[in-house]
Formats: sequence, C-alpha cells, structure tokens
Amino acid sequence: MSESTMQAPSEERRLLAVPPRANLGMTVWTLLRWTMAQTGAMLPLFVVVQAAIAGAVIVGFGLLIPDIDTPTAELLSTGAPTILILVIGLVLCPWGVAGARTSGTFTYQRALPVPRPLLLVSDLVVWLVIALPGIPVTVLVAHLSYGIDYSFDWLLLAGAFVLTTVMAVSVGYAIAVLLSPMLSQLVSQVMVFFVMLFSPITFPKDQLPDWFQAVHGLLPFQAAADLLRAGLLSDRFEPSGHALLVLVVWCLLGLIISVRAVIRRG
Amino acid sequence: MSDVILEIEGLTRRFGSVLANDAISLRVRPGEVVGLLGHNGAGKTTLVSQVVGLLRPDSGSIRVVGVDAVAHPATARRCVALQAQAQAPLDGLTPLEAIEIAGRLRGMSRAAAREAAERMVDDLDIRDWANRRATPDGGGISGGVRRLTAFAMAAVAPVPLIILDEPTNDVDAARRRRLWNTVRRLGDEGAGVLLVTHNVAEAEHVMDETVVLDHGKVVAAGSPSQLRGAEGEELRLEFSLPLDGEDPSGTLGEPPVRFARRVRTGRRVLLTLAASDAASAVAWATALRAADRIEGYTLSPITLEDAYLAATAGAGTEPSDEEPVHV
Repeated sequence: MSESTMQAPSEERRLLAVPPRANLGMTVWTLLRWTMAQTGAMLPLFVVVQAAIAGAVIVGFGLLIPDIDTPTAELLSTGAPTILILVIGLVLCPWGVAGARTSGTFTYQRALPVPRPLLLVSDLVVWLVIALPGIPVTVLVAHLSYGIDYSFDWLLLAGAFVLTTVMAVSVGYAIAVLLSPMLSQLVSQVMVFFVMLFSPITFPKDQLPDWFQAVHGLLPFQAAADLLRAGLLSDRFEPSGHALLVLVVWCLLGLIISVRAVIRRG
Repeated sequence: MSDVILEIEGLTRRFGSVLANDAISLRVRPGEVVGLLGHNGAGKTTLVSQVVGLLRPDSGSIRVVGVDAVAHPATARRCVALQAQAQAPLDGLTPLEAIEIAGRLRGMSRAAAREAAERMVDDLDIRDWANRRATPDGGGISGGVRRLTAFAMAAVAPVPLIILDEPTNDVDAARRRRLWNTVRRLGDEGAGVLLVTHNVAEAEHVMDETVVLDHGKVVAAGSPSQLRGAEGEELRLEFSLPLDGEDPSGTLGEPPVRFARRVRTGRRVLLTLAASDAASAVAWATALRAADRIEGYTLSPITLEDAYLAATAGAGTEPSDEEPVHV
C-alpha cells in the first residue's frame, strides 16, 4: 500500500469532524489586517480630507466672524475635532458600509468562520486609527491660526476621543445597516449639515432657542464636543457627567443595532 | 461525527409570495462533488445562504457533519468554506496575502497557511499576479485572477464542506481546467463539495452527483450518467435555426422519427431520439438544411446539458424560453 493511500483515511476522518475554533487573538489580528488593507489604503486621503475640514472649520468659520475674540477662537478650535470625528463616523463609515453591502463584501464577511461581532470590532478599530490624526491636525491648524495654548488632560482626551469615535462609527454603522445604501448616504449628508451648522459644537449653546437646547441635551453631538473640549482645554472647561451619560447611551444604542445587524439571519 | 458531510431535508424558504426553496432534500457525502444546477432564480443561492447562516429557513433541517446548522450557525460556518458568487474583498491585498489570510482565519499556522497559499497559487497558475496588489478601482489584478483567488481562499484550508458558487466566471479556459482539477482533488482528499453552477457542460466531468433545481424544487437528481439516461441508446440532434426561424420538429406530422425530448433554447433546438432512428433523422436534417429551414445540425451522444435543459423545461417536450445554458 502506498503512503498516500495509508494517509487518506485519517485525513477523511479529520474532515468529518467540526474543525477546532481558531485562536481568538489571531482571528482579531487577521481580521484587522484584512480590514486595514481595504480601508487603510485610503488613510493618506482621509488625513488630507481631515486637514481640509479642519481648515474649513477653524479658519473658514473664523472668516465669518469679524474681529474674532479668544473665547470664540477657542470654541471653533476645540469644536473642530468633534466635527472631524462625527464626519468620519456619520459620513465616511456609512459610505464604506453601504459600499460593502452593494459589492457583496458585507455578505462575504458574514459567511466567514469567525464570530460575527468581531467584524464590527475590527471595523471600529480601523476607524479609530483613521480618526486619530484629526486631533493633532486640528491642534496644529488652531495653533497656527490663533496661537491657542492648549492645556491637555491626556486621560480625559483619550477617553473622550475613543468614546466619541466609537459612538459616531457605531451610529453611522447602524444607519448604514438599517437603511438602504442610497438612503443611508442621503441621511448621512443631511446629518453633516446638522452637525456643522445646527449643533452647539463650535458655538455656545445659548445661541440656540431653549427647545433646541433641550433637544441637544439628548443628542450626542454637544456631549461629544463638551468632553473633547474639556480634554483639550482642561484649565477652562470641566467634563460633565451628563455629557458622559448621553455619549455612553448613544454608544450602546449604536453598538446594539450594529451587532444585531451583523449577527442576524434574514 | 457523521458519515454525511451535508444533509438537507425538506428545506423550505419563502420570500413574500415567492417560494424560493420548496421542500429541498439533498446529501453530500465525503469525497463527493455534488453539482447544484439551475437557471437564474432557481433557488440555488437561497439554499447556500441558509447553509452558511445568512438566511433562516422557514422549515426543514440542515446538518453539516452532524451539526444542526439552523440551531448552531456559527459552528456550521466553521465546517463550511464558501466561494460566493460576488467577488471576494481583495482590495489592498495581493492574492498570496488574501489566500494566506483565509487560511489563518481557519486556524492554520502562519507557516502552514503560507505553504498552502503557495501551493494554490501554483495549482491555479496565478504566480505572475501572486504579489500584485488589488486596488479599489478594480485594478491591479483582473477579474479572472480575483475569482481564482476567491476560489483559493475557499479551498486553502482542510474543511469538511466547500461550497463554490459559479467559481469559473471570468476565468480563462486553461485556468478553468486547473480549477476543475483542484475541485476534483478536494473531493478525492475527502471533502464534500457543493458546486453551484449553470456551466453544466464543463462541470459535468467533476460531478459525482447532480441535483437540478427549477423554481425552488428539485426536478432531477442522480449521477450525471443516470440523468443522461442509458448511454448508447439515445442520441441528440441539435438544430441551429435561422433568425426568427420556426422549429421544424414542432410541425405536426413532419418529423420522420419520434423524439423522446424536445427543448428549444433561443435559436437552438435539442432533440433526443433513439440511436436506431439516427439514419432517418440525418436524412431529414439534411433535407431541412438544403431547404434553408435550418442553418446547421449536429448529431451527438446525449450530454448532461441536454438532460438538464429537459429537466428545467417543464414537462420536457415544450419549448423553453429560458436563457441558454452557458458553455
């Protein structure tokens, strides 16, 4: 009997059993490598876009205000990172997910032999990496434009950055999986205008009517801006428990909807 | 442990008023390549989607190596490697990296995954593109190499069941042959292969069993030779009709022989006749050709494609308006 025919039965027996589960750490790392290769190829472009938006918000909005004073410049400069993160989470992420749904990538990944929530985890990590340059880019642009001196609370800044990005990306992801690809793109475009023009991120909330202030008390945009601002200018702004609570609730909401969409069977 | 790789019983799935899968039953045993044939919309992809847990069946059961795939979809997915009909997400990766990643996700060590990926690259003759990066605009590597890479990603690790959904789309003839050889090898190594295709003529040579779906139902099942019918007893007469030409075999009283099956697909008419009637059929076809009622004819042994077309053309004697089979 040849060697190959002697080996064949054991190979067959192995194929008749459930293959062992792959190591979780290796699975996460491999998925990250895959997602990073796909989305990460656009990273240089995303950094340029972030710099452009930072310039538009910090310098462009400043042009609208004659004789800009320091508190206003500080509001613009410290609100810009929030806008960048929200644009990434609410526009670029749904754009990516809508593309993945249209091309079949979303379905392909859900058929892989990995726990499906890990697909969302790897997406979140990659978007965190993509959003990260937003903070130094805005700090640099603001410093060059207005000479702002920052007083960082690094721990708070890191926590606020992660929480805001995870919230924005998971909400964006949820929008993209709940709505049709075309509708999700439309909704995300409208949200950008809402975030940039009608949310107290780069201007004080008392410029809004009372009812609108109450609405923003429940939405995550002002909460994200307040926390990030407290991390950037810790000697002038205090983090609030209410902002943290609102952000955490929205974060959980986005994650629950996204995880359900990833694991559900039609 | 089970001696059947895939066992589907009474699988039914409805989308609104459309019955996409209607009480489908099929089995894939170790070492078997089972062809799942059917026209577009026959319910093939719906069936596959339920096996990998993308869709939940309305009723029926799916067992993969004994695991209830409806109750435990995540465990079932570990037993199944799928090459989907849509292209695999390769942007930013080289074929070698993508195949290696697929192996790693199935628990292979880095060295084993790399070695298996190198072997797949050589088996499929895509070495020239192995280290070329796919770009998001569809560049870097061609559609055919992307398809072969997706096939290799499904075939790289030892898995009980491999499902291939139209694996040869966009692939050139020489590499299609290599792909079919690899499919046959996977079966010979003990895996079960469920091959979803409408490329009947090519897949015929690798299939051990064939299941034909039509409008969500199994309309024929068996080995290719069983479906073809008793070899040597029947022949196929194929007419190529002129544009808007009338099928001469449909004119009452005209054909000099009796046809067991008659199928029309576009401008082709496939007629099944007894081998003993061959001489009169050829004489008739020659006369039709001389009268320009047909553009040409061929007489050949029955193929699986004939049997497939007959099975999916209603009762098998009525002309079909279905799209032609890809060959």
